[in-house]
Amino acid sequence: MNPSHLVLLPILIPLTGGVAALLLRGLPRLQRCWSLGVMTAAMAGSIALFAEVWEKGRPVVCRVGGWPAPFGIVLVGDGLSALFVVMTFIVMVTGVIYALGSRDAVVRYPAFHPLFLSLAAGLAGAILTGDLFTMYVFAELLVISGTMLTAASDDPFGVEAAYKYYYMSLTASFFMLLAVGCLYAAYGTLNMADLARRVGADPSQPLLLPAVGLLIAVFMIKSAVFPFHFWQPDFHSAAPTAVSAMLSSVVVKFGVYGFFRLTTLLFVVHAPAIRSILMVLGTLGILFGGLSAAGTHNLKRMLAYSTIAQVGFILVGIGWGSPPALAAAMIFAVNHSMIKAAMLMLAGVVVSHAPVKSAAFNVIDGVGRPLSGAKLLFFLGGMGLAGIPPTNGFIGKMLLFRSGAAGDRFGMLVIIGAAGTLTLVYIMRAFQRVFWTPAAEEGLIKPVGDSLLAPVLLIGLVVLLGLWAEPLVRSASEAAQWMTTPLTYVQAVLGG
Amino acid sequence: MEFLTALSIGALFGIGVFQVLRRNLIRSAIGLILLTNAVNLFLLSAGAYDGFVPAYVNAPPGTASDALPQALILTAIVISMGATAFMFAVMIVISGRYRTSDADQVNGLRQ
Repeated sequence: MNPSHLVLLPILIPLTGGVAALLLRGLPRLQRCWSLGVMTAAMAGSIALFAEVWEKGRPVVCRVGGWPAPFGIVLVGDGLSALFVVMTFIVMVTGVIYALGSRDAVVRYPAFHPLFLSLAAGLAGAILTGDLFTMYVFAELLVISGTMLTAASDDPFGVEAAYKYYYMSLTASFFMLLAVGCLYAAYGTLNMADLARRVGADPSQPLLLPAVGLLIAVFMIKSAVFPFHFWQPDFHSAAPTAVSAMLSSVVVKFGVYGFFRLTTLLFVVHAPAIRSILMVLGTLGILFGGLSAAGTHNLKRMLAYSTIAQVGFILVGIGWGSPPALAAAMIFAVNHSMIKAAMLMLAGVVVSHAPVKSAAFNVIDGVGRPLSGAKLLFFLGGMGLAGIPPTNGFIGKMLLFRSGAAGDRFGMLVIIGAAGTLTLVYIMRAFQRVFWTPAAEEGLIKPVGDSLLAPVLLIGLVVLLGLWAEPLVRSASEAAQWMTTPLTYVQAVLGG
Repeated sequence: MEFLTALSIGALFGIGVFQVLRRNLIRSAIGLILLTNAVNLFLLSAGAYDGFVPAYVNAPPGTASDALPQALILTAIVISMGATAFMFAVMIVISGRYRTSDADQVNGLRQ
């Protein structure tokens, strides 16, 4: 197998597997085994791609159809995209494991596993592509899969939340098409490497600034950054647990990936302006997300608001822009995905034991007390969110703060450090209410709920990466070094 | 000709935005469809005025028009068709469940 074909694997395997899973919808047990097998194969493919990029020391490029770069579509696996795709599939595999062990009615829906696989394919495609229009196409696949999975949710308000999200995401797609049109009219190409070269050569085109603004708005909506986050708490709390664990952990990272590409590859000439916007939005997000999470009365909504805060940390890292800050933002993103997916799965486990299937605190008060496994895992996950050793959340936060101190950003460090302590407030309050105080009616707690295997795997990874962080830190630092010189990417795509 | 295209894109955009901001869910969905039409025309105008001859392989002599934006528009039309179909499906479920298509009445999630 040609090494460049490795880039195709993480996209083709879930896509064809999803179609085959749709054909298998009459045989539910076979469909479930098939879905787990396909997702594991895709994870193996993404790990093989990551190993190839790491070994070769340069991006792996696949020219679809054999057409050379500016004329054909290219799929590029460089340090950032390969790392993000590995993170995506590790979390998605645990998502399938959770769905297999879940007692929701929605996982028995015949189209659940095909939609889950197409969610994975859409996300992998959007991250691995080297062409803006292909990114639009895969982002649409991502949006439709997520919406349909939520619309079929057990939660009675799933359809309403799905419609709100769908509407805002279609508006975001409309903005992305407008940006694509502006860039094509101004520069005549949509290939990201070619655009990087042409924008660098001629940044005075009148349609460039509207395109930059529109793309910033698109990625803000996709990753629920502060002023455009209104769809997120409803959507992430009304989705089925297996799905909301994916949405709030890896699907939001698509917007973050977009910001990485905007500031380091496509619009390097406007990067200082974009970075200052990101710093402000990130800080506001941390404050807003922390305060809102401390004020909600629903466990899943609290975790959804917490995502806004953690994405704020990542945006602050991208906003600082130095190689250590970019590496810290990448590590933070990878670690947050695992922690948030585990926490949402644990919330789902608790809700499945509750007398009524609701995540509101006054319903699940004390439901977690007899579940000692979930209690320990939630505690470890909470420490990960707050950034306390020995979890990988500590590694991410420490590296972010260290890069801020190295860049003399002490004012911002004080603000985000103070806002970061809000995490401890809401996590410990949730832990106390759900897992410590005795329940109002012990007899109504269901004895059997969702299986704990998936959160165990994720929290195990969280602690493992907290103790043995070297591979992740080294690969992220090297990827950040590559990002400071976009010429490597451009030459790999166009030259070689 | 360019002026006419620009005028029509602007008019479609304006009507679309007006419709999107309406209270009735069905009318705002139609507004979104109008907005996608506006952006498809915008993509067309990015490459429609380059040449006078269709971009065939054995084309008659003369500068050929740009074929890539037309391919982009075709893809965008197909994607928006799928997206519109899904949007109507979700709207059918909502109007059946909530017995209304007034956006202010569909607020079960408000806390």
